[in-house]
Amino acid sequence: MPSVQATSIKEQLRNREDGRKHDEFRKMSIKLGVVTQVKGSAYIEMGDTKVICSVHPPREIHNKVSFSPEGELFVEFKYALFATTDKRDAQLEKEEQNYSSIMKRALEPAVCRNEFPNFQIDIYVRVLDDNGSALAAAIIAASLALANASVPMKGIVTAVTAGIHDDLVLYDLTVEEEKLCSTKVSKENLDRGIIMQAMLSQYNQITEPFYSGNLDCDVLCDTMEALQKASENIHLLLQETLLKYVNKTLEQDRESKSVNKKLEAMDVNNTEKEPKK
Amino acid sequence: MSELVSLSLPEKTFILHGIDVNFRNDGRSRLDCRPIELQTKIMDQVNGSAKLKIDDTEILVGVKVEEDTPDENSPSEGKLEFFVDCSANANPIFEGKGGDELATEISDALSLAYKDVFDLTELCILPSKKCWKLYVDVLILACGGNLFDAVAAAVKAALYSTEIPQVKDAAVDGVEADIFVSDDIFNSVKLDVKNAPLLISLCKIGDNYVVDPTPEEEVCSSATVVVAVMPNGRTSGGLKTGYGSLMVETWRKAIQIAKKVGVQLNNEIMKALEEEEKLGPNRALFGFL
Repeated sequence: MPSVQATSIKEQLRNREDGRKHDEFRKMSIKLGVVTQVKGSAYIEMGDTKVICSVHPPREIHNKVSFSPEGELFVEFKYALFATTDKRDAQLEKEEQNYSSIMKRALEPAVCRNEFPNFQIDIYVRVLDDNGSALAAAIIAASLALANASVPMKGIVTAVTAGIHDDLVLYDLTVEEEKLCSTKVSKENLDRGIIMQAMLSQYNQITEPFYSGNLDCDVLCDTMEALQKASENIHLLLQETLLKYVNKTLEQDRESKSVNKKLEAMDVNNTEKEPKK
Repeated sequence: MSELVSLSLPEKTFILHGIDVNFRNDGRSRLDCRPIELQTKIMDQVNGSAKLKIDDTEILVGVKVEEDTPDENSPSEGKLEFFVDCSANANPIFEGKGGDELATEISDALSLAYKDVFDLTELCILPSKKCWKLYVDVLILACGGNLFDAVAAAVKAALYSTEIPQVKDAAVDGVEADIFVSDDIFNSVKLDVKNAPLLISLCKIGDNYVVDPTPEEEVCSSATVVVAVMPNGRTSGGLKTGYGSLMVETWRKAIQIAKKVGVQLNNEIMKALEEEEKLGPNRALFGFL
């Protein structure tokens, strides 16, 4: 690779297209309980990446011969047909399957599976628009949807994606940056790679360390430590979102209760009046 | 993945306590591997093959080479595809679709490990017209634990033994490209595997990691870290299996162990393969299975 091109790629990564700093995340928007027909759901936007997730209540596992003392998770990760531009069908299907199993492994440690033996919880994830870090967004959405479905959990799972390009470490990649960080290197000792780290921040536990590329072991570990700090911030944000949602629901509940009381009072008045007649 | 063996609590405690004092059931210490038996070029119908045996684990790998057209996105690269088959011979639970989950998990791990480091440009014949596609088919004949490592080692050996037909001539006729392959079957090119990674899985039992776990040890573990280690000590991919989670510091420890073990294992396997090659076609074959 000519050096001119190499430096220009580096320039491109250094000055990110949306003007972010290397360790800055895209703006996030989260909505809970967006789908009315399921037990729990969440919608998340990370920049242009949009993911929706719904969780179905526990149901008995089909065709199971033996009793399983721990409940199971079933995760389906799918891209919407219009979400991606240049991936081909077969490749995409493989990636979907792979990401589904990564998500399962990332969420399993957080869910109290002993609470629903012999049952399984279905989690369906749709990526509506993929502009990078879709897997991380999907994991966040799924853990929020699980919380929304009041599935007992040990904590919220956060996920962050980072790309490594030589000495540059970028957080929360876009599709373009993902491509640049996963190019092959001809020279031996240049670091390239993408790390997706799912964490239970409350306990400082990594639930799934998934990475690919060509990396030095120390560089990898240092980046993972940095990502641990980054996911703490996201964890706070998610906690706040859940709290707000709970407060809002409680308030609505209270309001509807007071309305009900008023109605009841009116009813009582009516019924009391009747015998007097 | 469903468990291959079932152990009672006292049995598990026994294994756990043994590992705490660095003494495993079969007398190994935590970082010892079991002896590996490896044999290449054992099948005539394919371009490369290998059979690997670690204790009860038996893996058979065949590599087929076929002509194909390169992807639009990478016109100067060939293709590499992994397929893993968990035979019902190995364990009754693999019957029907029972082994599919494990099989995809292993083939995903293999493609993850090879994706960013294996040089596919040497498989290109004519950019954007013709390339070689390698089909790496893995058959798991028997499992005695540590499938990830065993499969990756067998795949590396099979790729090492792979011979790609020598292209005599290539011509572009309009849109169609034609290649002429040498008639002499001994006239072939060897595949370069100096960068090919191995998978090292580290089973976390208690506070310690063990390498090359037996099925009994795998049952005792809550999380297994699988790291792809290249011969130069760098890493090209990693993931976790099992239901547990890990601290960052524990993860760092795992990577360091994997690096050490991986480099050593890579060296040993390459040494063995070169030695076998030196024996030439007249080497003694020790039966097929």
